[in-house]
Order: sequence, then C-alpha cells, then structure tokens
Amino acid sequence: MDIPLAHYLILSGLMFSIGLAGVLIRKNIIVVFMCLEMMLSAANLSLVAFSRANGVNGLPVYDAQVLALFVVAIAAAEVAIGLALIVAMFRARRTVSSAALNTLKED
Amino acid sequence: MDFAISSILFYAFAAMALICACAVIFANNPVTSAMNMALCFAATAAILFGLGAQFLGIVQIIVYAGAILVLFLFVVMMLDIKTEEEDNSFTVFRNLVRMAPGALVSGVFAAMVFIAAIKLPGATEWNNPLCKAWDSMGELCIGKQEASEQPAVSNFGGALPALNPAAAAKELNPAISNEEAAKATDIPDVKLLGQKLFSRYNIAFVILSFALLAGTVGAVALSRKIRKD
Repeated sequence: MDIPLAHYLILSGLMFSIGLAGVLIRKNIIVVFMCLEMMLSAANLSLVAFSRANGVNGLPVYDAQVLALFVVAIAAAEVAIGLALIVAMFRARRTVSSAALNTLKED
Repeated sequence: MDFAISSILFYAFAAMALICACAVIFANNPVTSAMNMALCFAATAAILFGLGAQFLGIVQIIVYAGAILVLFLFVVMMLDIKTEEEDNSFTVFRNLVRMAPGALVSGVFAAMVFIAAIKLPGATEWNNPLCKAWDSMGELCIGKQEASEQPAVSNFGGALPALNPAAAAKELNPAISNEEAAKATDIPDVKLLGQKLFSRYNIAFVILSFALLAGTVGAVALSRKIRKD
C-alpha cells in the first residue's frame, strides 16, 4: 500500500494546527516563536508533497521546492530578528511572558 | 494487504513528528521544548527524504535543526529562563478556560484541513494511480499500465507518481539520446533544483540574500546595548 497525497496533507495540517495551538496557548514568548517555526516547516511539507504529486513525466515540480527553500531562508532571517527582539524585551521587562506586554492596555 | 517499508517509515515518522510537536507545547521547560522541536524537525526531514526531496531534507536538518534550534538554545540559556516558572496562582479551571479558545481554533483548523484533504478529487480512491487529465501523454503514471484508461478528471488519490531517472537525465542534458537517458538510475535532485534556482529564480535568489543581510543587520542593531548619554 502506498501513501496517498491526502495523508501528507493531513500530517502537514495537523502539525500546523499543533503549532497554531502553541502560538495561541503558550505564554512564554520563546515557545510561541518555536511554534511559529513549526508552522512554517509544516507548510513546507505540504509544498513538497504537492510538488511530487503534480510532477510531470516522473519529475517533481521543482518550482515548489525552490519556494520551500526560500521559506527556509526567510525563516532563518526571521529567527535572527525575532530572537533579537526577545532579548531586547527581556532587557526591558526582565521577563519573557507575553502577559508582560501590556503597555497599550488601559488600566 | 502488504505494507511497503516506505509506508511503515512514513507513518512512524509522522507519528514521531506529531508526538514531538505536542511535547513542544506541553513542556514547561523551554530547553525541553527546543529538544523536542529538534526531534520534530528530524522526523519532518525524514518524511522529505521519503518524498524524494533529498536536498530539502538536508536543508531542514542543517538550517532548522542545526542553526535555528541552536540559536533558540543560545537565547534560552543566555536569558536564564529556567528561573521563570509558570505562575501557579491560576487554578486548574482557569487554566482550562485560558487554553480553550486556542484549542478550539486549532481544532477547527485541523478539521478543516482534514476535510479539504479528503475532499480532493478522487482522494479516497486509494487504489487509483494519481493522474491528471491535462497530461495527455499518458506517461505521467509511470509504472502503471492503465495510464491511458484513466478517467478524464483530476485525481489526487492513490500512490504518488514514481520518479523517472531517464526523464531527469533528459532534462539536465537534452542532447543525449533516449538510450543513454535510460541508463540513468537516480534522480540528481540537487542539480535539478539548482538549475531552477539559478536560472528562473535567480533574481529572487539575489533579493533573498538581501533579506538575509537585512536580518543580520537588524539582529545586531536590536541586540546592541543602547548607551544613555
């Protein structure tokens, strides 16, 4: 029995939703950021699965794999910026809880 | 029903990826989260290998599990977040209430993706080879004899189409004869990907390098100490 495309898509969707749940539930901003990376990697998985499934003449569609490569590179740049922001936040607030980011909240 | 070893590996790595992903969000210690995420990325890379995207699998391991995860661990250990405990002033009930909207939203999203994947044309007809109507050559379903007898609708069920090393050799070097191409035994994944990357997407690639440069400069600018004088 071979693996159909739908199973790859379901796996990718489940990983994306677990990442989404982490982003919505967790308060530690570093873990939130990790879950964002997990969502990107899940999206990559479905891109590669579609590249294989839409292949013509026994070759995958390499445009999709180039796009997946770009996603990885942008994720690396994003992590560099994001972690610098987290370090800056820790310097200012001495915490990494997202509950501490309440400057705009009226009280 | 006989299970091929590749199917067993796929389902094993899929289960591992999902379990480690759950462990990332339920671990209290950020270092545990990071380690579980490394395992999750490794399992994803294994699935990419199984899909025939060897280069992206390697990139997944080197960039995600190697570079990004190490950066996370640096920051976690630099900031000494282990002392930062979850405040236990909340009762269990209030914790549940806090988690409910997130769990609901992501559960609805998972169900949506599941239904969309199942509703793809022909997705539940597991035994039909994956074929598309617009490929009139009949050569898309390599390894399946009844390629020309496929229904004239898009079909996303069945096994993914087999990779064809002869077509890859022909793509890399159109000048070689069919007999020469038929001798090819493997798909030169990196060569084919690089051909696309450095021809059609060359400008995008150069712009991407500027994005990485901007990221580096931004990270340095953000994390430098601001002198008050």
